[in-house]
Amino acid sequence: MQTLFSRHQMRVFRFVLRMVRDESVAEDMISEVFLDLWRQADRFEARSSVSTWLLAIARNKALSALRKRREASLEEGVAEAIEDDADDPAVILQKQDKGAAMRACIDRLSVEHREVIDLVYYHETSVEEVAQIVGIPENTVKTRLFHARKKLSELLQAAGIDRGWP
Amino acid sequence: MTETMTNDPKRSEIEDLLPWYATGRLSAGDKARVEQALKGDAELRRRLDLAREEMDETISGNERLPAPSPRALDKLLAGMDAEPRSEPVLAAARRGFVGWLATTLAALAPRKLAYAAVAALALIAVQGAVLTGLVVTGGDGKFDTASAPAVVPGTYVMLSFAPDAKASEITGFFRRYEAAVIDGPRANGFYKVRVGEKTLPKSELDRLLERIKAERNLIGFVAPAN
Repeated sequence: MQTLFSRHQMRVFRFVLRMVRDESVAEDMISEVFLDLWRQADRFEARSSVSTWLLAIARNKALSALRKRREASLEEGVAEAIEDDADDPAVILQKQDKGAAMRACIDRLSVEHREVIDLVYYHETSVEEVAQIVGIPENTVKTRLFHARKKLSELLQAAGIDRGWP
Repeated sequence: MTETMTNDPKRSEIEDLLPWYATGRLSAGDKARVEQALKGDAELRRRLDLAREEMDETISGNERLPAPSPRALDKLLAGMDAEPRSEPVLAAARRGFVGWLATTLAALAPRKLAYAAVAALALIAVQGAVLTGLVVTGGDGKFDTASAPAVVPGTYVMLSFAPDAKASEITGFFRRYEAAVIDGPRANGFYKVRVGEKTLPKSELDRLLERIKAERNLIGFVAPAN
């Protein structure tokens, strides 16, 4: 189990951390995810890869934690408040770092949009795998990524980077 | 051009596939369709560059995130230790999990590396054996919960090599920087590379990255990683 954990912990942790934005919560969550994997060992079927399964379970736990946090907070969306504290992409751009400006804009996407961007570009998941993890049809995966990229372009444009698309 | 692409459903369909083309996660059929479309279409190639730019910075942003502390593994093992276990479940786990792992973990291997799949399968067998061993052989019902460092100390970067980089140049790169591949190549051509046994201060890391970036004929992308 330690070997399995070592192999996947980093990516699952980062996936969760990008959603819940709290290292301690993310650490607790990955322990629970791998414990679920251990508990359900006898019920697995070869319909999805381990990483797809882990990311799907991690996502459900992260969304559940976000819901609870939202309910517990009088503020509107804790995650959004944290995003507002991040460096402004336009300020970063003034420092002549286009890459950092893009990273800041990705951070400012909604959880739903950032999630699909992360799954495709960082976790290297196929259309089918994203559909399994997020629980949406494959065509919706493509549409959601398109809208996430479109939103990213709009944020970049507001920060002073015109990509000429869409 | 932009208008034409927007109004042509087939072209829009191809454009939707560009992010997966960039990451190397398209089926052979879709990959061939995209490559055919890219041949005679400068605007589509430009849009592929946009997707690659997004991919580079998404990877860079994620690789800057911290690693989980050993507490996560400790908590997992303590949780396993506390679970009530029954023989039928253990027997089923022993029977089913190794086989399941052997089949499904193969999907993790980058498609480009058929030989890596073989290595992954070997690892799968080890993982399956380790897991089943932990489940089945714990005669006293206890598990070791010793902390293991989540990450070996050192300086890490994510990088990709230029498409036309020669093997001898890549070998030379690893020799010059006394570097070692930790992970990769992934389907998108990225490697995680250890470039030092100690964690460099930011100023030194920036200088190192600049040096690597300056090798434009060899390096496609480089960014710090944790």
